[in-house]
Amino acid sequence: MAKAKTSKPAVGKKTSTRSYLKRYWQLYFLLALPMLYLLIFKYIPMVYIQIAFKKYSIVQSVWEMPWAKNYGFEYFIKAFGNNDFRRALRNTIGLNLLDLVVGFPAPIIFALILNELCFKRFKKVVQTVAYMPHFLSWVIIASLALQLFAPGEGLVNMAIERMGGKSIPFLNDAAHWIGTYIGMGVWQNFGWGSIVYLAAIASINSELYEAASVDGAGRFRKMWHITLPGIKPTIVVLLIMNLGNILGSNFDRPFAFQNNLVMNVADVISTYVYRTGIKGLQFSLTTAVGLFQSVVGVIFLLGANWLSRRLGERGIW
Amino acid sequence: MKKKLISILLAGVMIALTACGGSSSEPSSSGSSSGDSSAGNTQQKQETGSTEAGTEAAAAGELVDGKFAETRHITVEVYDRGNDGGTDPTSNMYAEYIKKGMLEDHNVEVEFVKVPRWTEVEEVNNLLAAGTAPDICVTYSYPTILTYADMGGVLDLSSYVEDYKDELPNLWNWLGETNIYWDKDPVNGTIWAIEGKLAVNNRINTFVRKDWLDALGLSVPTTKDEFEKMLIAFEENKEKLLGADADKMIPYSVSYDVGWRAATLIESFIDPDITDKEFYINGYDDRKLTQNGTKEAIRLLNKWYNQGLLWDNFALYGSGDTTEDDMMKAGYVGAFTHNWDYPFRNGDDSINVNLQRNVGEDACYIAIDPFEDSKGTHTKYVSSTAGDRKIFFPITNDEPLACMLYLDWISDPEHIQYLQIGDEGVTHNVLESGAIQTVAATGDPIMNSGMNIDYTITCNGLHLATEELTKLSQAYNYGGIDPDIVSEADKIAQTNAVPAKNVNVGAIEAEANIGDTLSAKRDQVYDNAVIASEADFDSVWDSMLADYLSSGGQAIMDERAAKWEAVFGNTDMLP
Repeated sequence: MAKAKTSKPAVGKKTSTRSYLKRYWQLYFLLALPMLYLLIFKYIPMVYIQIAFKKYSIVQSVWEMPWAKNYGFEYFIKAFGNNDFRRALRNTIGLNLLDLVVGFPAPIIFALILNELCFKRFKKVVQTVAYMPHFLSWVIIASLALQLFAPGEGLVNMAIERMGGKSIPFLNDAAHWIGTYIGMGVWQNFGWGSIVYLAAIASINSELYEAASVDGAGRFRKMWHITLPGIKPTIVVLLIMNLGNILGSNFDRPFAFQNNLVMNVADVISTYVYRTGIKGLQFSLTTAVGLFQSVVGVIFLLGANWLSRRLGERGIW
Repeated sequence: MKKKLISILLAGVMIALTACGGSSSEPSSSGSSSGDSSAGNTQQKQETGSTEAGTEAAAAGELVDGKFAETRHITVEVYDRGNDGGTDPTSNMYAEYIKKGMLEDHNVEVEFVKVPRWTEVEEVNNLLAAGTAPDICVTYSYPTILTYADMGGVLDLSSYVEDYKDELPNLWNWLGETNIYWDKDPVNGTIWAIEGKLAVNNRINTFVRKDWLDALGLSVPTTKDEFEKMLIAFEENKEKLLGADADKMIPYSVSYDVGWRAATLIESFIDPDITDKEFYINGYDDRKLTQNGTKEAIRLLNKWYNQGLLWDNFALYGSGDTTEDDMMKAGYVGAFTHNWDYPFRNGDDSINVNLQRNVGEDACYIAIDPFEDSKGTHTKYVSSTAGDRKIFFPITNDEPLACMLYLDWISDPEHIQYLQIGDEGVTHNVLESGAIQTVAATGDPIMNSGMNIDYTITCNGLHLATEELTKLSQAYNYGGIDPDIVSEADKIAQTNAVPAKNVNVGAIEAEANIGDTLSAKRDQVYDNAVIASEADFDSVWDSMLADYLSSGGQAIMDERAAKWEAVFGNTDMLP
């Protein structure tokens, strides 16, 4: 898409398609491979969406499977009648909203702070250290959390107890678990997430800052009136993309963190689908759930995009 | 112009796609051929139904002296336990022994397919859905097989076991009608799975640190009260018992799977005079969640938890995690409940051997029988000879006869004996009494599972060529473990044991598709109830159990009750 856009203005209206292609065929050739990838891995599998409306069988091809009851909507009705699904839906939205509220501003704030540092080497070290957790898988982070936060044997709790405090149930009490879950999410992502913002800040015209200094603006003034407005489009685009994900959930993070004691708040759609669909063999039901999740995701994405245009930003389309 | 461009682009993509299709034709064609073969298979199956005599003649024609004229190829599931120092289960010396034997005796080439032990159900699901499941599959979960069967994914074995009876003497001798017909549908006669046999049906024991009892001058507890006093004594004397590691003391350890890991305690709260009907109706779950008395058993555990007598992190570690075993091996755990021989398993890596290494010569776990029921006996609900592993053939199996021959071969007493004890001087010694003593091995002869039960899929538990030899050798069967301790554990496991009865009232529809959801919920009920504060215990238990029941548990109980009445009428006991 980006390629099409950049090459478009170069073509005069009257130039024939042939000479256009002759000139730019390499670009399209380059594009063919990613397109192929999308086609094979993203579009062809969509044929199997029908499973949501059919009675799944291991041995039949997807075209042969019989339609589900209630005009094919049996499994959607079943899903919404299912307590576990409703719980997973509630948790997905809840945890993602919290992630958005807590996790979304964190990299912005971090980028702003980092930008104000004048000691270059220190800045670089901080930046690198903050990126690191991004490269750890959730399974590792979850075991780290277990070593650190488990009641009794966790390092943090042992320290608290030695200092005379009472051990905190970071992982085995619903409210505390949510805190740990969100906190670890922020910890893993804020450094990495700040890269985009730092890049955006770097592209702000430095003359603006000089002018502001001349006018007597302090650090916070400059931050508020120059830096933030400068990265506003970036913030909006990322916000839209995040909103599109409000019902999506990655699998490994909740799966690695959840345990039997907190399932009531920790079971999200992806882990529900895994447990009921893959482990419990209810493929039709969970395909229906997955489809619902995607459709809502698209609606959110379109809605957020529309909203951002209304607010005068560019949006992603 | 834009449209034209797009169409050209798409055309280009199409061309590229066909080109790619050419190069990657192998997987796609093999995919379609497996589809074809499964279709062919159903056809074949229907034919068997209509003209059985014909196929039998054809089968007999295929075999000359039990051997195929042309080499056949079958795939067999084997568990991969990923244990320390273990070998590749598909190609170690025992696997090769089987491959060689099958090729020589039946001209059948065997290929093992390894499936991780702790996620076997998920793995087999994926393999089945992809059409690449092994020809012979093994699982502990019958509801899972039923689910596959409902989708038409499992071969009906009824015709094979009967038509080829003459070719399968070992299988019939070893399993007998009991295990072969255990899962036969009383209405339409289908057999979706054959039950492997439990040679030893001991189930669960409670273990305690003998050296700790001695150190504190305590006698072996024989009642719940004494057991509780013992736990408290462990906790109060943790400095004496563990010194610098006193913080790590765990008087009684359970895991997230409370229903298994406190089974003897739970069973002691069940009315010993429970009727067969009530036991069956609540018997979907072998963790006994809904049996009468279970709640009171968990109330006691809950009390112990709140007194700090249990491991406080038990619910945070999932299936297959070794943290708890490691704590036992390190010597921090006073007592626990588990498989009847758990601390003796795994030879040199067994809990007891590790304990001696890490703590001292005297340190060891011994079995005890402390949980009395309302009649003062120690009822333990054990399995019958069936109820262990179930063997089934997925629909993609196009060599059912060769696979039946495999089951026969693996049930041959000689083959079982070799797989269980290995070579003399390497994995076992013959004692003066003639008893066979297992020796812990390393390197290639190591057995990934005790007595190679992962290979002897029709047999779980020591089963040597003669019964006397088996009896004699039982106690020497654990490398590095004092035979007296094993005999004692065996005796306790047999005390007041009640073997399971076969209540065959046909498939329970409500049980299909629900197994995993319910067992996850069951564990949540147990775990949350154990850690609740004593004041909240009732409300936590009741509300979580209600969730379990409304998620399908009640439907199963209702259907079981209805089918019991349909088959057995008003009687409460089995005939």
